[in-house]
Amino acid sequence: MEKTWNNKAWFMVLPVLVLVAFSAVVPLMTVVNYSVQDTFGNNQFFWAGTEWFQEMLESDRFWEAMGRNLIFSLVILAIEIPLGIFIALNMPKSGWGVPVCLVLMALPLLIPWNVVGTIWQVFGRVDIGLLGYTANALGFDYNYVNDPFDAWVTVIVMDVWHWTSLVVLLCYAGLVSIPDAYYQAAKIDGASRWAVFRYIQLPKMNRVLLIAVLLRFMDSFMIYTEPFVVTGGGPGNSTTFLSIDLVKMAVGQFDLGPAAAMSIIYFLIVLLLSWVFYTVMTNYGAER
Amino acid sequence: MTTTRRWPVPLAIVLVVYAAAAWALTLRLPVKDDQIDWFGSLGAGWMAWTFPTALFFLTILLLLSLMAVWEYASPGGNPRVGILRFETTRGDRLFISLLGSAFINLAWLGLVGPSLWWALALSVVYAVGVFRYV
Repeated sequence: MEKTWNNKAWFMVLPVLVLVAFSAVVPLMTVVNYSVQDTFGNNQFFWAGTEWFQEMLESDRFWEAMGRNLIFSLVILAIEIPLGIFIALNMPKSGWGVPVCLVLMALPLLIPWNVVGTIWQVFGRVDIGLLGYTANALGFDYNYVNDPFDAWVTVIVMDVWHWTSLVVLLCYAGLVSIPDAYYQAAKIDGASRWAVFRYIQLPKMNRVLLIAVLLRFMDSFMIYTEPFVVTGGGPGNSTTFLSIDLVKMAVGQFDLGPAAAMSIIYFLIVLLLSWVFYTVMTNYGAER
Repeated sequence: MTTTRRWPVPLAIVLVVYAAAAWALTLRLPVKDDQIDWFGSLGAGWMAWTFPTALFFLTILLLLSLMAVWEYASPGGNPRVGILRFETTRGDRLFISLLGSAFINLAWLGLVGPSLWWALALSVVYAVGVFRYV
């Protein structure tokens, strides 16, 4: 059958294009302009060429922050995705338990990021925090203020607490959309619990998992507020992720040129990794 | 796919508008000691426009417009499975070309030096390769 091509539909996209232009394209263009210039304020700019990009590419500080961020994102994905799937699989599919579980799962998502940071900052304190005080009372030498490992554990557990429910809700939505006929067919074939998961539930969750992985990756790769409130990037620079470093450079030091160059490299890496995730997962789904 | 559409007309319009916009940009170039300052501020306030950055974005816009003309001439996006073994349309291939070119330039900057003309040439070769084989 001949496909109808009606390009008038593109006009419907215009309002979104205008919105995106103001919220994303104009700021991005400004950042590109700043990345090749130097400024001392007062709207006066001096051409710097590729100097800031070179400085960033040769900067240990930048690569260390990048490494920390990648490790953080990978750890987050490795914990939150399997945990989210596991919880979603074990949530009730009918009855009064459904709304209770959904509300409980939605609660952490409703809390503003800086409040989450403040909760965990207090929670982990050795003197008054329930977690910090109890851990030390039990004999664990836990102190996120001066131990980098403890700071990492705190930031990771905080993120898992905050965002696993998003993965759960997305997976749950995928699971409840599977028709009963699939399960009935699996039962007739005598499929094991693992086979049902591997050949029915996981493929059917593919799309929502793609969204979950993309959202969690991008969000964790851009994380700022929570670790900033809890650890301020410390102890030392141990939890200084890219966005924290970026804000320190742009706002703290007013180095707008290097900060803009860093933003662009950061943006390109997020774009590349998101594209790779998206392509791999959509093509994996298409092959199935 | 063959086409009977009159695509040369929009193509000509796009190229003329690009040339006119680039020419208009040159009129705003600042003059310092009777010499044109190609890297000076275009005087557009807080966005800190310069001629090279404005031309960069204008060229991106040109590429997008050319893609639109191509789509007008030959609708459907020409989807195909290339050497990456997944389906790509023309838009995908442009995205892969632009993103790859950005990384080629960054790698050149980090590994070779600040002169990016060879990196630009390499990016063009890469983009031709992507449109031909991906």
